[in-house]
This record gives sequence, C-alpha cells and structure tokens, in this order.
Amino acid sequence: MRRFLQLLKKDLQASLLPVGFLSGITIILFGIVRLKMASSAWPMEASLAVIAIPLVFLPLWLLWQSFQTLRSEWREDTVYTLLVLPVPGWYVMTAKLLTIWIEYTVLLAVIIIGTLTFFTPLVRFGMQVVPGISWVLRNGILLYLGSLCALASVVIFVQLAFVVSKMVGRLQGLVALWTLILSGWLVDRLGVLLEPAFRWLPSLPLHKLFRLEELEQGVVAEWNLAPEIGSWIGVLAVLVLTSYLFEHYVEVNG
Amino acid sequence: MSKASNALVVSGLRKKYPKVEALKGVDLSLPQGEIWGLLGPNGSGKSTLLKCVVGLVNPDGGEISVLGQAPSRLTKAQIAFVPEVENLYRWMTIRQAIDFTATFYDDWQEDRVEELLGFMRLDPTKKVSSLSKGMRARLKLILALARKAPLILLDEPFSGIDPASRDRIVEGIVRQFKSEEQTMIISTHAVGDTEQLFDGVVFLDEGTINLKGNAEDLRTQYGRSINDLFKEVFA
Repeated sequence: MRRFLQLLKKDLQASLLPVGFLSGITIILFGIVRLKMASSAWPMEASLAVIAIPLVFLPLWLLWQSFQTLRSEWREDTVYTLLVLPVPGWYVMTAKLLTIWIEYTVLLAVIIIGTLTFFTPLVRFGMQVVPGISWVLRNGILLYLGSLCALASVVIFVQLAFVVSKMVGRLQGLVALWTLILSGWLVDRLGVLLEPAFRWLPSLPLHKLFRLEELEQGVVAEWNLAPEIGSWIGVLAVLVLTSYLFEHYVEVNG
Repeated sequence: MSKASNALVVSGLRKKYPKVEALKGVDLSLPQGEIWGLLGPNGSGKSTLLKCVVGLVNPDGGEISVLGQAPSRLTKAQIAFVPEVENLYRWMTIRQAIDFTATFYDDWQEDRVEELLGFMRLDPTKKVSSLSKGMRARLKLILALARKAPLILLDEPFSGIDPASRDRIVEGIVRQFKSEEQTMIISTHAVGDTEQLFDGVVFLDEGTINLKGNAEDLRTQYGRSINDLFKEVFA
C-alpha cells in the first residue's frame, strides 16, 4: 500500500502545475465575465455561454490528460523508472486513474465554488426553479458519482490503447486508435452477451433516485441495469488486461 | 552466497528491432561477486542486453536467469539498474527522488544515502531539472548504490559527462561495491580510465560476443591493456 501511495503521490505532484494553471484560468475567466455582467457589456446569453466553457472543456481535458499522463512517462524516459519498479502493473494504472479522478474533483470544485462566488444572483435565480438545496445537493452528488464511473471507463480504454501501441514498433498511433475502437466495441458486445445472466436484476428507478417527481409530477425514468453489468465487467477486465500488459509486455523505445 | 554460482546466465538471447537485429543468440554467464565490463561500440547490443535482463525489453528468443530465477517482479527487486537515458522526474528535488526510490526497495540503506550525497557533492534540496548532466549521472548512481542489490547494472554511466564527475563515479563504485554480496555489470564504449574497475570483460559487437574472459588473464594472454585490446578488436 505504501508503494501504491508513493506512485499516487508522484502522479498528483506531477499534476499540480496543470491543475493549478487551469484553476487559475477558470477563476480569471469567471472574474472577467462577472465584470462584464456588472457593466452590462455582454448580453446575458453570451455571459452564460462563457461561464459554461470550463464545464464543457473539462471532459475534453480529462480525456487528453488520461493519454498525456502515460505519454509523458515515455517522452521524458521516466518509463525506465516505472518499468523496473518491483510493483504490479495495476499499481501504476490505478494510481493514474485515481489521479485523473482527483484532478476532475478539484477542477469541478473550482468551477462550482467560482460559480457560487462570482455569480450569486444567477445561482439564487436558479435555486427558485428547483425544489430546494437538499434536492440539488443529493442529485449533484449522484451525478458526480455517476460521472466518476463514466470517466473511469474512458480512462481505462485510453490506457489500454496507449499500452498496446507501445507493444508495437511501428504505426503506434493507428494501433492506439484501433485498440480504442475495438475494445469499446468488445465491451459493448460483452454487455449484450451477458445481459440474459443479469436479467433478474430490477430496473433502477431514476425518477425516485433523483426525486424527479418533486420537479415534475408523473415523470418516470428507469435504467435497465442488465446490459450495464456485463459492460462494467468488461471494463474491469480491460483494466486487468492493461495492467498485465504493462507489467509483462510493454517495452521502452528501442 | 557462493562465488562459484552465477549472478546472470543468458543463453541464446535474441532481440530484433524493426530495422536491426540487436542480439543474435548471445550466450553468457557471469559469476557472482565481480565487476564485469560489457564493452562494445555504439549499437553493439550492450544496452539491449541489459534492458532484456531488467525487463525493459522482451527478447524474441533465448533464456535469462537472474540469480537463478527467470526475470519477474521478484528479480526486479534484486536488480539496481542505471539506464543511459535521463530517467529521473525532473520536477522532483534530489531528496524527493531519493525518497521515491527508497519506498520501493527493501534493500534500501538510508545510512549509505547521506554518505553518498556527501561524497558525490550533491545538495538534496536542489531540483533535478537544475542539475548538470554530470550531477544527474551521480544522482542516478546514488539511487543504485544506496541499495544492497545483489545485481547492479550500469548502462553507459560515463557517457557524455565531464572528467571530474567520471572520476567521482568510478571512485564511488570502488568504495561502495561489496564483492561478497554484489555483482556489477557496467556497459561502456569508453574503456579508458574505467579499465581498473573490471574483474572480467565481455566484448560485444553487432549482437554477438567477440571475446570474454577474466581481465587479468586477457592482459597476460594478449600482452596489452583491455583498452588497447578494445581498440584493436573494434578498429
């Protein structure tokens, strides 16, 4: 565990600069929008669009970061250090996954706190159309947990694509792209294939979980879990496979 | 640990890169408790051989035995490897790099670290990115020599560094090497001042072994220094 935490600490320290930079940019952007709104220089629609930029940009940055965090190990030759460490491959992969989760959480917190601080009147207006603060908090946490799962699956697919590309001497970019597409398709197929085995599971009543009836009466939204379970087994299998390949088959540049 | 047993046994080792065959069936066995020089010009396969042993490169054929075991996570724990490339995290301080490495190895010797830092004249508060090439080479050596690893592999530790740093590294190796517990393999294409270090040498050329033997025996047999022999073989 001490070794895993050391890897996590190393990845977190390496991400301090980009996360700090993006946090700073977000706060500056919010500050500019706040000033423009105060002087009525920008129409409300334009201000709202600019406020949304960090939130739209965040998933793209995380996708790039999940690739970059591995690429930088090869580019800076620190992969020589990583590959000779007597640790299982999953230590390296899950440390990087956890780092992306923490980066996401920090940046999301900056966006939320920035929005609450700079755009208090807008937030107050928004609160009038939702059932209450407890409803917002509950659904916010649920959405956050769901987004962590979605983010994990994307990071795991990207890790596999990158690791497989480093097992071949040529056409690494093309190999990475095809691995990404193929692994996504295979996991989806696995979900369909295993769906009958999990058909006994009840559907998840999202309208109750998110208390949607407090927003609009008679809303019904259900989530069929059976195919999702198979897909999540597939994603876990991809993580195990990536870790195994990283530990046993990946090579440094020749 | 018996000196008669082998620290490293390699048989029929082959490795082919897309454009070149780096190792063409190398057979080699190196006894424990000695310092061996793996000598050859650039591109002779020295680095590839060491990378295969430590698990950075997967051979296309042949077998490797490190201290009697096939390469695995267990053998990684027994090898201290210094690569030719700059493998240090540049944003770390020297102290952070030391603490990071220490976490992963049970054979880490904290008391050796302070001694080595003083001997190598490195300030632990300095950032790796601010160090000269010679200082980084010395730091890499500290990270290897601070361990009581049974097998130490140094890949071109003197390449491109200033004479002062080279002398300090050679002296550091001589001071820290424990022949009753450790085996060291140093790959280099510049024999020169380092000849004094070697108990035995292996001449590698284009993926095959040209010459192998006890350094003193070779000097007696050929009537010249290893450095002169190297120049003659690879002229």
